Amino acid sequence: MSSADTTVEPDAVEAAEVPVVDERREALLASLVEALGDAVVGSHIRPLDDLWVRVDREAWPTAAATLKDMGFTFFDYLSAIDWLPSPYGRDMDAQEDLVVSGAEPKVPGPVEQGYAGGDTRFQVIGRLYSIPDALGVHLKTDLPDDDLRVGSWTPHFRGANWHERECFEMFGVEFTGHPNLVKLYLPADFQGHPLRKDFPLLSRRVRPWPGIVDVEPMPGRDDNEEGDGE
Amino acid sequence: MTDLSERDQMAYIAARAADARVNIDLETEGMTLNLGPQHPATHGTLRIVAKLDGEQIISAEPIPGYMHRGYEKLTEVRTYPQITALVNRIDWLGSFANEVPFILAAEKLMDVEAPPRAQHIRTILFELARIANISLFLGDFGLQLGALTMGFYAFRDREHVLNQIESATGGRFHPNFDRIGGLKDDLPKGWIADTKRAMVKLRDLCDETQTLMVGNEIFQARTRGIGVIPADVALSYGLSGANLRGSGVDWDLRRDACPPGLVYDKADWKVWTHPDGDCFARTWVRLQETREATLIVDQLLDSIPAGPVMAKVPRIIKVPAGEAYVETENPLGAMGYYVVSKGDLVPFRVKIRTPSFNNISIVPWVAKGVYVPDLVAILGSLYFILGDIDR
Amino acid sequence: MGLVESGRMPKSVSKLLNLSRKYSIWAYQWGLACCAIEMGAAFASPRYDVMRLGVIPFPATPRQADLVVIAGTVTDKLAPAVLRLYEQMPDPKYVISMGSCANCGGPYWDSYSVTKGVDQIIPVDVYVPGCPPRPEALLEGIVLLQERIANEDMSARWKGDPIVVG
Repeated sequence: MSSADTTVEPDAVEAAEVPVVDERREALLASLVEALGDAVVGSHIRPLDDLWVRVDREAWPTAAATLKDMGFTFFDYLSAIDWLPSPYGRDMDAQEDLVVSGAEPKVPGPVEQGYAGGDTRFQVIGRLYSIPDALGVHLKTDLPDDDLRVGSWTPHFRGANWHERECFEMFGVEFTGHPNLVKLYLPADFQGHPLRKDFPLLSRRVRPWPGIVDVEPMPGRDDNEEGDGE
Repeated sequence: MTDLSERDQMAYIAARAADARVNIDLETEGMTLNLGPQHPATHGTLRIVAKLDGEQIISAEPIPGYMHRGYEKLTEVRTYPQITALVNRIDWLGSFANEVPFILAAEKLMDVEAPPRAQHIRTILFELARIANISLFLGDFGLQLGALTMGFYAFRDREHVLNQIESATGGRFHPNFDRIGGLKDDLPKGWIADTKRAMVKLRDLCDETQTLMVGNEIFQARTRGIGVIPADVALSYGLSGANLRGSGVDWDLRRDACPPGLVYDKADWKVWTHPDGDCFARTWVRLQETREATLIVDQLLDSIPAGPVMAKVPRIIKVPAGEAYVETENPLGAMGYYVVSKGDLVPFRVKIRTPSFNNISIVPWVAKGVYVPDLVAILGSLYFILGDIDR
Repeated sequence: MGLVESGRMPKSVSKLLNLSRKYSIWAYQWGLACCAIEMGAAFASPRYDVMRLGVIPFPATPRQADLVVIAGTVTDKLAPAVLRLYEQMPDPKYVISMGSCANCGGPYWDSYSVTKGVDQIIPVDVYVPGCPPRPEALLEGIVLLQERIANEDMSARWKGDPIVVG
């Protein structure tokens, strides 16, 4: 969906009179629903761009195997999303930020998921790609808060090995059937799961950094070179 | 009195026993060799724990994380322009190439398109980043295999490209030049002619590398048939870029799935593949790609349209809510950013898909049964940057 | 041996020794991240040649090195290795911290896995700021270090630990 040469404000002014239909992705979604049945619990298509499919937790490995049989043999990535809004806000508490954004309420909003819906705080997301068709699929699945476990993709895609290890140490998600689920990046005595939203960045707790103070002037409008570029 | 045959038998058994004692003393099995984290053969702080049987590797396990800086957590507390500055440092040799997919994802969410001139210049700088990156690879790979001369040539000729990047953007690497909606600034006077001259010099470097290194019989003996990766294994691991094209898979994101915002369709160029899948194939593909990149830059330099370099975007950038994924053909492979935005100044979650992460996860599979010097050749030909693995 | 320990080193001898020391530095490159490329450009490319200052960048081991240039981000996982490297170097040894990551954590000042400055682990003599610093900046840092060595008092540097044999 290309906004041909528009120079308007980025709040999207919907210029689509005729809704664009992405036939290839619709067909792919239909064949997935046919193969997996009830396991597909949500989906979203951005026409001519991408497809998101949310499946049941039990069907997570089966969905990967199905897609692999359909020609999606390239393993792109696998990770997780923590939908809890950070209890520390944006961690930019300096005066300059408040000037720009108004006094931001410290109360974080509710847990809201993104495309293809969702019910839980943690979602695992993976992407597979089909090289002959030049099509990619994003797969998501919900994880209940008290049971962060899901089946591993390693029997089908060997590249998932390291991605699942990283997801395990960053979020605490366990992948059943993974041959060697240990820490990948962090030293062995590291405590906590860093990418969870309730894991604080201690340096920012100690000294908040003025986040917006280095706004540089738009090119061509200001003559004097002020503002750092960092 | 024992007869001859029995005496011979006894001598034979005694000799075998002596051999057995020697073998027990030598203990050729089960030695653990630790390569790194600081080692001249690894492009940075990668540690490989290899269990050896004599000179052969039984298992090689890479241990990343010595350069893990926590990018994905840091992006959750930085604004989009700040992230652009930070993200340069993931693949620190072709820095401009790291900014581009992130900016394109943000532009997709904001529904903003950069003006044609900006798209053109963006593509040119992207290809210059590719040339800067891969020319160092060519020199460094020679260095790892013992051909010291190529290292010096590569550093010397790379300076021409860095000069051009510096005169356009202000930084030799880490240019921090891309902005949502276009570029920071326009090109200086005389840049186009200078860059064309630099491209001529880079083509000379490619030709020199071809004769000195790739055509060298020692190089070929060390790389042909070593580290063969068949195409289906490569796809299952998620290898991308020249590693995949060196295994015969004809896939290039610039041609097949070019994201809007880059203008590769305006130039006439070719994708190089090699069917063998060994170290030589990957190196050869990279060399041809560098030469092809200089040709792309030449063609695009001739056809830069006039116009502004920045679309109208607000001063403080708030990206509307949504999720977007953009993947581009970076010098190391396919790099992508999955940006989740909730309509705020900072993104909600950014997942960075880096090519070297997948490329190096294949090392345990490919290093079984190879000799230790061949492991160095394999690592060099897979070509990773530590910042790309560890983020 | 006795002159340095007891502090009775004549000034002219000290000056001569310092002169010879500053023009024959063997620099071990602990290149970690992007600054390693600029350090490589400074040390290995013919344009920013560092050997003209007398610095030889190719000691085989840290045990033969006078100077270590820490170039790049130091993470908590790597910190014990940096300390071990520093302890392996024989006295008198110098440390140049190159780049803002090694100076103070740099752009990753708030990360959970980055050591905020290598001076939290080892003592640093010269800080070269920049992200990355140009090769000329690193050369200036080395020149400053040379000035520092030239003005050094060798007896003050000697730690006073006796060499015990047997």
